[in-house]
Amino acid sequence: MQDAAGTAGAQVNSEVDSLVRAAQRGDQDAFERLVRAYDQSVLRLATNLLRSPEDARDVYQEAFLRVYRNLHAFRFDCSFHTWLYRIVTNICLDQLRKRKVRKEESAVVETSEGALDRTEVFEELSAAANPERVTWNRQLGQRIDEAIEELTPRERMVFELRHYQGLRLRNIGEILGTSEEAAKNCFFRATQKMRTLLGDLV
Amino acid sequence: MTCDAVRKLIPLYFYGELTPDEEDQAEAHIHECAACARQIEAARALAGALDRRRMEVPAALLAGCREDLAAAVRSAAAEPARQPWRLWLEAAGATLAGFTRWPQPVGAAVLIALGFAAGFVAPRLVPGGSSVSTASLTPSEGVFVNVRSVQPDNSGRVRVAYDETRRREFSGGIDDPVIQRLVLAGAQEEGDPGVRVESVGLLKERAGSGEVRDALMNALLHDSNAGVRLKALEGLKPLAADPPVRGALSQALEFDDNDAVRMQAVDLLTLRRDEAIVGMLQNLVQKEDNGYVRSKCAKALKEMNASIGTF
Repeated sequence: MQDAAGTAGAQVNSEVDSLVRAAQRGDQDAFERLVRAYDQSVLRLATNLLRSPEDARDVYQEAFLRVYRNLHAFRFDCSFHTWLYRIVTNICLDQLRKRKVRKEESAVVETSEGALDRTEVFEELSAAANPERVTWNRQLGQRIDEAIEELTPRERMVFELRHYQGLRLRNIGEILGTSEEAAKNCFFRATQKMRTLLGDLV
Repeated sequence: MTCDAVRKLIPLYFYGELTPDEEDQAEAHIHECAACARQIEAARALAGALDRRRMEVPAALLAGCREDLAAAVRSAAAEPARQPWRLWLEAAGATLAGFTRWPQPVGAAVLIALGFAAGFVAPRLVPGGSSVSTASLTPSEGVFVNVRSVQPDNSGRVRVAYDETRRREFSGGIDDPVIQRLVLAGAQEEGDPGVRVESVGLLKERAGSGEVRDALMNALLHDSNAGVRLKALEGLKPLAADPPVRGALSQALEFDDNDAVRMQAVDLLTLRRDEAIVGMLQNLVQKEDNGYVRSKCAKALKEMNASIGTF
């Protein structure tokens, strides 16, 4: 099982369900396998959404600890994936809202070479693994970042889940505790805002 | 379909999120209309630009996260048993062992304490028992056994080792310490929700004691039966200002799947102003399905002058 979040086959589901049941009985090994089935996609989501490895790390830790502590209360009334993503998206939305509240939060970190933009540092780290990134047009990147900042936390989350994580809007609605229709509207608003802000670039 | 109507569908069309009907209609229009076809191209270009913003997860980050989590889980698992009832059962067992002079070791006394309170012993696995089954032999009325091993020998005889539990009755006032121990054990009786409802109902009058409070919190968070959880909530009402109780109430509000439990939990939590729960309330205003809980959260936020949410 490479990454259960990306596959929705019945076989995967039943495999996941039996891992969940074993973990509910206190089987630590099953819990670890469950984590490994999903943790890459959780970390991908948090990293891409929050643009900060430290924050993504916090989300990872908090989400899976909550899973660990509350797994006994999971009653299979939705898929484990949906349940897990409810936890993860809640934590991420809290982070986004906190940031919105304290706008003073600066993306600048102090290093021995002076102040550096946190996201740039991170982009350079990823660039090492992907040389194409070096040619990344930073100005365009910044414009896109600014446009995404204009979205509400919820619009941002819906867009992230649909565009970057490839989840269906129906599933996104389920995760965020709303209808498919509401998720569609939210997604539509997000794309419209970005079209308006970035229309001249594309 | 007009251009205006189609433009509204284009983002969903691009992501394959239209219904088949909508998709047919949009497609028919796009084939005929160059301006709308260009809009699709623009959507594709925007998606392409956004794709380039995708952040990869460095392998070291994933490895670090896994290590941190493993350490946190290890220390969580090493915490003293989070289910206080185990301790009460041991206490109950010890009390009863003294009280009734059972010759059994403590482990067996615990088993008996359960059966004693609940009226029966459920089959349970015991580490080290090579075969475990429960048979209701009736050498006399009210005796239950757990078979621990069955060994046939060459002569055709069979040797069976079993633990025997005898049903007893004990009556006394609720202030009687033995009754209190038994009722605490009853609150954890796995087999019979009726016993748990009755026990938790009795305990709720005595939530002042730390032990009873823990039992009620445990029932609220762990009992599979909503009736028991509701009884526990009633008992926790006078303690709604107590931080550990508030923690349990918050968890119930966030995770309990029963509407009545969540409604009761939100009532108790919002009895008093508490800035610490603002985040959770804002969250619930957005995602809670139950209208009562939602409006209660919104009202509490309003009273605290906190924003109801940002979207």
